Amino acid sequence: MKYKVNFYINEEPIELYVDSNRTMLNVLRDDLCLTGTKEGCGAGECGACTIIADGKPLNACLVLAPELDGMHITTIEGLAKDGELTELQKQFIKHSALQCGFCTPGFLMSGTALLQENPNPTRDEIKTAIVGNLCRCTGYVRIIEAIEETAEVLRGGGQ
Amino acid sequence: MREFEYLRPETVEEAIALRLKHEGCSVLLNGGTDIIIQLREHLITPEYVIDIKRIPGLKKLTFSKEEGLFIGACVTMNELGDSEAVQANYPFLAEAAYSVGSKQVRNRATIVGNIVNASPLCDTGTPFYVCEAVMCIASRDGEREVPIEEFITFVRKTSLRSDEIVVGIRVPYTEGARGIFTKISRRKEVDLSTICSTVLRIKDSYRLAFGAVAPTPIRLPKTEALLHTKTLTPELIEEAAKLARTEVSPISDIRASKEYRLDVVEVAVRRSLERFMQGGAA
Ligand code: FES
Ligand code: FES
Repeated sequence: MKYKVNFYINEEPIELYVDSNRTMLNVLRDDLCLTGTKEGCGAGECGACTIIADGKPLNACLVLAPELDGMHITTIEGLAKDGELTELQKQFIKHSALQCGFCTPGFLMSGTALLQENPNPTRDEIKTAIVGNLCRCTGYVRIIEAIEETAEVLRGGGQ
Repeated sequence: MREFEYLRPETVEEAIALRLKHEGCSVLLNGGTDIIIQLREHLITPEYVIDIKRIPGLKKLTFSKEEGLFIGACVTMNELGDSEAVQANYPFLAEAAYSVGSKQVRNRATIVGNIVNASPLCDTGTPFYVCEAVMCIASRDGEREVPIEEFITFVRKTSLRSDEIVVGIRVPYTEGARGIFTKISRRKEVDLSTICSTVLRIKDSYRLAFGAVAPTPIRLPKTEALLHTKTLTPELIEEAAKLARTEVSPISDIRASKEYRLDVVEVAVRRSLERFMQGGAA
């Protein structure tokens, strides 16, 4: 059976018919071809599938497709506007906060959600915001620094 | 995932009617952080999944000194942890909620879901055990209240009947009560408890609850009796820690051995009581 869902994806309204036994992650990747959101574990452990739903970071692998109805979703594809990267994306590049890049969309979504909610996070608050994101390559320090510097720049204190 | 029918009732009554209609072949979906994994792994294969998240009123989170705290069925871990009333009056409960999973998981996982799952190591269980929280349950015949200790009956078993729904948890407020939550896990974040506990002090009496040491979270009545009306001294704390060890019956599993858990129970009792002795509890 198909379920009609109306939701917003990166500010675009959309109407779809989805199966109950699929997840938001399947819909994003397979139906909408938004493959920036990754599947690592599929079980809420790795954060590669992090998206922002109604202002909050969620694991897209832990939401059933019919639950999308009424949600406002931002994925990694919704960050850059008109080809202009967001400050956080630029800082990830500047700090070399990625290597293989598989975890990066998830970290960017967690970082973006944090800075929207709290423009002046402490180092501990940054760590709390990203504990649900695993990275096998970078060792996390550069990621934390990139988020820290983004906060500084957005507050107007950057060099 | 097998196919199932997804149902989204708009009232508690409607949800109960659906439970009755599909008795034995439906599950309730709340935050979904456990259910979706169980569906995916084929650990459960329901024909109907009943999503209660959009029922107005189940997001209720209220506090007053007279009525205590009421946590609606759909309140998430982060909503509880972020609540000023909870931080001010039940800081150990906020800490327990924040100790669950990751930020993403806590934005979905619910407090009531954590209890209804009835895992022996549920992180939010022990604060409710020491506060003597009460589960508020609705059915066709009206509401009933069940103390949490009678609600969780065994590993993943509760006294909830198949035609009932938990609508919330009521947590009594006790003036001057102070609590200490402890969670020991293999890694600091995004891990299940190897042991969790809450020690509550009300004037000069103590309540101790432990998780992951028995088929359900448990209170430690003998240790509580030993400490009752006494002034804490290093000797008394030592005696209490040793006695606590005899009141638990942990098993060995992938997270830890039985022996390790027994030692850690002692350590958790000792450290919590020492903090009380030094006046350090929130
Ligand atoms: S794929 Fe969702 S948390 Fe790993
Ligand atoms: S950059 Fe490779 S997993 Fe993070």
